[in-house]
Amino acid sequence: MLNGQPIAVQETGEKMLVELYRRYAGDYPKFFKMDTLCRLGFVAAELLLKGESVDAVVMANRSASIKNDTDYMATITDGNYYPSPALFVYTLPNIVTGEIAIRHHIQGETSFYILDSYEELEPIVKSQMADCTSPAAILAGWCECNGKNEFYAKLQIIWNN
Amino acid sequence: MEQLIEQLKNQIIEALNFEDMTPADIDTDAPLFGEGLGLDSIDALELIMLMDREYGIKLADPKIGKTIFRSVRTMAEYIQTNRTK
Repeated sequence: MLNGQPIAVQETGEKMLVELYRRYAGDYPKFFKMDTLCRLGFVAAELLLKGESVDAVVMANRSASIKNDTDYMATITDGNYYPSPALFVYTLPNIVTGEIAIRHHIQGETSFYILDSYEELEPIVKSQMADCTSPAAILAGWCECNGKNEFYAKLQIIWNN
Repeated sequence: MEQLIEQLKNQIIEALNFEDMTPADIDTDAPLFGEGLGLDSIDALELIMLMDREYGIKLADPKIGKTIFRSVRTMAEYIQTNRTK
């Protein structure tokens, strides 16, 4: 959904993220190196930030980078010790906010919180907004990924004027 | 050698998640870093792991990496000479 309107897609799961990337971005090959959490946040931000600019990114979820963490762990199990550098770099959930900031040239704060619920994010965003000295916009939301086909994102732009 | 080059290209595509690419898209003699494929330092680490995992080659001297990873062909030549599996 974008601004309450459904977006037609052919694929499901992570393939849907690739489909949306190709339709709405397509010019950022690094997308294919990202883990699913980053792909999710990246695509959601692409959809939302068309023609918009924001000053900061504040996101949260409950499971951190668990999906990628377990993928990475599988590369360092006994008898199969080939730790993947490409997976290792995504073993922190705040990488997604950094990827979005790089893509959209956002030079304000980026932060990622591990919380029990979306409601807990609201006071954090308000506090963040109070720190802004001029009219500002924050990309804020929930970005959760528990598997290649099990994820949820809800992002919004919050203005302080 | 040509078979090894083809295999290596497929392994690079898989290791580096080049989902849109086929072996034909990779120029055997083009630079892997900078121009050409435009790989970065994390990709370099992945290639080092690939050499170890697939061919039993451990690169202990970082200086020789620049020569080995100049292109797919230089990688394949090094693998053919030094592989242990």
